[in-house]
Amino acid sequence: MKLLSALLVVFVSCAAGGALVLAQQPPPQQQDEFVPIDQLPPQDQLPAAPLLVAAYSFVVLALFAYVVSVARRLTSVQRELERLETDLKRGSSA
Amino acid sequence: MFAHIVWLVLRKDFTIEVRSLEIAYTTLFFAISCILVFAFALVQEGRAPEGGAAGILWIAIAFAGTLALGRTFERERQAETLRALLLAPAARPAVYVGKLVGIIVLLMAAEVVLVPLVALLFQAPLFAHPVWLALILLTGTIGFAAVGTLFAAMLVRARSRDVLLPVLLYPITVPVIIAGVRATGALLAPEVDVAILQVWLALLVCFDVVFLTLALWTFEPLMTD
Amino acid sequence: MPNWFIPLAVVCALMFATAPILIANAPYESTMGLVQKIFYVHLPSAWMFLLGAIICGMASVRFLFRGDPRQDRLAWAAAELVVLFGVLTLVTGPLWARKAWGVWWQWDVRLTASLMGWMVAVAYLLLRKYGGPGSEKLAAGLALFGMANVPFVYISVNYWRTIHPTTNVVPSLPTSFGVPLWFSALTFLLLFVLLLRIRVRLEEQRARVDTLYLSMDA
Repeated sequence: MKLLSALLVVFVSCAAGGALVLAQQPPPQQQDEFVPIDQLPPQDQLPAAPLLVAAYSFVVLALFAYVVSVARRLTSVQRELERLETDLKRGSSA
Repeated sequence: MFAHIVWLVLRKDFTIEVRSLEIAYTTLFFAISCILVFAFALVQEGRAPEGGAAGILWIAIAFAGTLALGRTFERERQAETLRALLLAPAARPAVYVGKLVGIIVLLMAAEVVLVPLVALLFQAPLFAHPVWLALILLTGTIGFAAVGTLFAAMLVRARSRDVLLPVLLYPITVPVIIAGVRATGALLAPEVDVAILQVWLALLVCFDVVFLTLALWTFEPLMTD
Repeated sequence: MPNWFIPLAVVCALMFATAPILIANAPYESTMGLVQKIFYVHLPSAWMFLLGAIICGMASVRFLFRGDPRQDRLAWAAAELVVLFGVLTLVTGPLWARKAWGVWWQWDVRLTASLMGWMVAVAYLLLRKYGGPGSEKLAAGLALFGMANVPFVYISVNYWRTIHPTTNVVPSLPTSFGVPLWFSALTFLLLFVLLLRIRVRLEEQRARVDTLYLSMDA
């Protein structure tokens, strides 16, 4: 759960940063057609690779973090379950 | 029978409230302070931001509504009257509707004070089309209160109920608030676009129907232990 | 854990390993170029986000009206997956949008409704964690309202003006785009099922711990 909350904090801060960037941009126009990329003015020509890499690595990291979080919670509950079962067995045999 | 129970619950709440007027005064004062804070923050050199009035009005309604909901059900919790209500041989949905109408009346009373205040502080021509405005406020308040009454009732026995009510309520009621703000904004434009206004009003009515149906359907199982 | 779990996990891992090859070999889209390839994770994430919300809502209805605790466990697990896949969708989307639309975010209907749906799921988790006893039913009620949001998110893009592509894009995809997409979608679906199963198992074990504690006190 802590990992999920950490992820949430990261996401919210990214969203806040994005909102700040958004606030400084001119409003976008509705797209009715797609414009070829080399006809855009130079400042709009962003390199795509960092965005792509960021997206895919975020997906992989987030999924991995979730699996780790569930695995950790499961092992701790499993340990507690075993402890309880041995206690009960000892209690009932004593 | 249903309407009779609604009336009884409403009358009970009204009688208790009229004795002290505690919730009415505190909610109203809170809403006024809310609007004043917005005024101090946003009004520069006597000029309000363009189109800010609609949003500020609805934010004040949402905040005041949350407070009123919390306080109303806190009162029920303290006197354990909610359990008594649920034990009564009355249809649960009728109890819900009774509480809902009480909250709506309280919020509408607050809006009667808030609308002139916003119109004054933010120079918004809110009274240009009073009938449309009344319709927007009514449908929006019903939608907000429908979800709010359900959630506040179900949170009565939960821990951390004060902070959980807004946490649960706002994401669900955001569509209602957005529609209310857009509709009010359309009304405040120099040339009122009736078509857009009707679209947003239709959406508000849609939300009201969906939320009321869901709330009536789930009130009984949610309030049963 | 059921018999199908490990084989399915192996299949899923293999698919995750081969998906990038398929995605890299897919043709570039004519206008968006390289960044369009985010599509192959954005769309499946969005589908799993909506699927999770539907499962959570339906399990909550069954729990509310029949009181079956297994449905409650399923609903909680599904809500966590809604938060997870919602984060994936809401992060990959803006990263793609920055290049394709020029802005990170737009307050159009679909994005706003998706964000609100995600926040409802987060509120669900907060309620389960901090609500104290009896919060299962309350959370189920909340999930119902959240599920009502799902069809709205899906069809909104067809009826309101927005930059977001409409639902017509997927049915009309050429095969060269379609193969990696459906492969990706299947991979995500398998992963969703696996994660759901493992998360439900966590709740089952917690329930067993509770019953053991109760039997000790008795």
